[in-house]
Amino acid sequence: MNDMQMEQRLDIHTTKIEARKVQVYYGTNHALKDVDVDVLDKTVTAFIGPSGCGKSTFLRCLNRMNDTIPSCRVDGKITMQGEDINDPRVDPVQLRARIGMVFQKPNPFPKSIYDNVAYGPKIHGLTRNKAELDEIVEKSLRKAALWNEVKDRLASPGTGLSGGQQQRLCIARAIATSPEVLLMDEPCSALDPIATAQVEELIDELRTQFSVVIVTHSMQQAARVSQKTAFFHLGYLVEYGDTATIFTNPRDPRTESYITGRIG
Amino acid sequence: MTAPRASLFAQDPRTKARNAAEKRFRAYGLAAIITALLALVWLLISIFGNGLPAFKQTFLTFPVTLDAAALDKSGTLDPAVMAKVTTIGYAKQLVNGLQTELDAKGIGGDLNAKELAKMISEESAATLRDRVLADPKLIGTTIEFTALASGRIDGYYKGRVTMASAALDKNTSPAQLILADQMKAAGILTIGLNSGFLTMPDASDKRPEAAGLGVAIIGSFYMMLVVLVLALPIGVAASIYLEEFAPTNRWTDIIEVNIANLAAVPSIVYGILGLAIFINTVGLPQSAPIVGGLVLTLLSLPRIIIPTRAALKAVPPSIRDAALGVGASRLQTVFHHVLPLAMPGILTGTIIGLAQALGETAPLLLIGMVAFVRDFPGAPPDGLFDPAAALPVQIYNWTTRGDPGFVERASGAIIVLLVFLIIMNTVAILLRRKFERRW
Repeated sequence: MNDMQMEQRLDIHTTKIEARKVQVYYGTNHALKDVDVDVLDKTVTAFIGPSGCGKSTFLRCLNRMNDTIPSCRVDGKITMQGEDINDPRVDPVQLRARIGMVFQKPNPFPKSIYDNVAYGPKIHGLTRNKAELDEIVEKSLRKAALWNEVKDRLASPGTGLSGGQQQRLCIARAIATSPEVLLMDEPCSALDPIATAQVEELIDELRTQFSVVIVTHSMQQAARVSQKTAFFHLGYLVEYGDTATIFTNPRDPRTESYITGRIG
Repeated sequence: MTAPRASLFAQDPRTKARNAAEKRFRAYGLAAIITALLALVWLLISIFGNGLPAFKQTFLTFPVTLDAAALDKSGTLDPAVMAKVTTIGYAKQLVNGLQTELDAKGIGGDLNAKELAKMISEESAATLRDRVLADPKLIGTTIEFTALASGRIDGYYKGRVTMASAALDKNTSPAQLILADQMKAAGILTIGLNSGFLTMPDASDKRPEAAGLGVAIIGSFYMMLVVLVLALPIGVAASIYLEEFAPTNRWTDIIEVNIANLAAVPSIVYGILGLAIFINTVGLPQSAPIVGGLVLTLLSLPRIIIPTRAALKAVPPSIRDAALGVGASRLQTVFHHVLPLAMPGILTGTIIGLAQALGETAPLLLIGMVAFVRDFPGAPPDGLFDPAAALPVQIYNWTTRGDPGFVERASGAIIVLLVFLIIMNTVAILLRRKFERRW
């Protein structure tokens, strides 16, 4: 699935999101310290690390989902194509339309499959009529490799699907608004190996159109799907580089300990 | 090898003690439930035993000749002149009519006109007068009139009055009761459904047979209308703001604690508040459903806000994340996703709050809803400012009156109130079922 040969061509991708000296505080707890990451366009970037290391926190900084947590404060600079996303002029709602998100637990709306996918385009006014909306729904479900399974029951509830199907529905929902970046917070942790494989295959296909950032517990998954990997430990970004390098020839001893299973 | 183990069939002392404790606990629980059920059954038997007769009424039906000489002395059918004849004039016509009918059937020769008059409700003369004034052409004709029997005669057929008690009662006599039985046999006296109990206004102390809940039902309905229109939107909006938008700081903490405290404030305090603010300061009329509705709104708000917030809190945060994640604003998140999911809880809480407000008595006493009101309030919105009674206050009012006929009326009114409460709770359950997680 993954191709190590790709890495030579990575440098031709432009930087989509640039994070510099990002600090996150939960109240007085300094949860994330001095994180510098460049998320490249049309690339899968994986964040790995033990539980509580701050990888999900950092992911949520990228589309300002941390705004919804009252005690959370974010310092440092995160820019998307040169524009500071924490600038007071930026409306987080508009930002989130351009940076989609898929959560750890599949969380379809308790509505029909169609309405789940159509909701984003509807509220952003992306379509002028029903036919266009139908087209977006079909396209998104096809991209999420779910179309063939649900095309005959678009009106049935999204919550009635299996776990893996629900997660792919959530991915379809996220890509229906044509975001530029797709953030995935441990999207496979609630799925069985077969559903995981389907989602991973999907991520690999999505890479051709979006920049994908995935948080994962599974180092194998990071190795399979990503081209860039960032290793977080105790709130620090320990190492960031090409996936192949991180897994075969890590610079930092902590990275090596983690990927060989000695810490974590 | 290890020591031989005890047989599985023999229980060790520890197990025995545990099982005994469980058995005792179950017995206590069962006893508690049986006690509660018995109390409920006793309550229902007592209420229905006392109250069901209120839905039956004794009527006297006989022809009445409306004597032109007595009722329209000028002979012009001029309403202004006719109105000078009081109910006393009409009562005489009723007694004459009844006497004629009795003579025709050959019964009750030994009762004088005064005793005969006591068998007919004083209310009937007023009813007859209203009917004639509304249609003066009736003067001089003979009409078939259905009069209410007096409270004592009515009580005789409901087991409240006996020959022995009638002998001691200056309002009735055994001779009247004997005559009543004869009239019943002759078909003059009938016992029928008392629809007037739900439609007629309250009546004075001496006329329990004519007292009805009409004004009280309308008053309570108007108040519920006011509460629904005000408390539901204010309560739900306040809950949504506090739960979804308000920052958590000292101020919102204080507000939260105070809402919880307000729900526990004795309801009579709201009555004093309503008296001070709505009547004394704002100058709204006393006894008016609008004031009662406003007081009950204040009373219901915390009772609606608390379950509404609980319902909003019960919506899983993953739904909010999902909506925010696709770029919905907070308002869209709340109105498209959170509110529909919280709807069953909100509706149930609101209806239970309304039902509680319907049964509130104390605050209404203080704002004058206890007044004796015989005139029906007008149609809303103007009718909201007319004096009216309220169901629970009417019950309280009747229980304080002397005539035993009012005890029966009060129990009957309790049945009516219970029926309304049961209807509201049923609606709450049905709405809950309808909206609850459709998938």
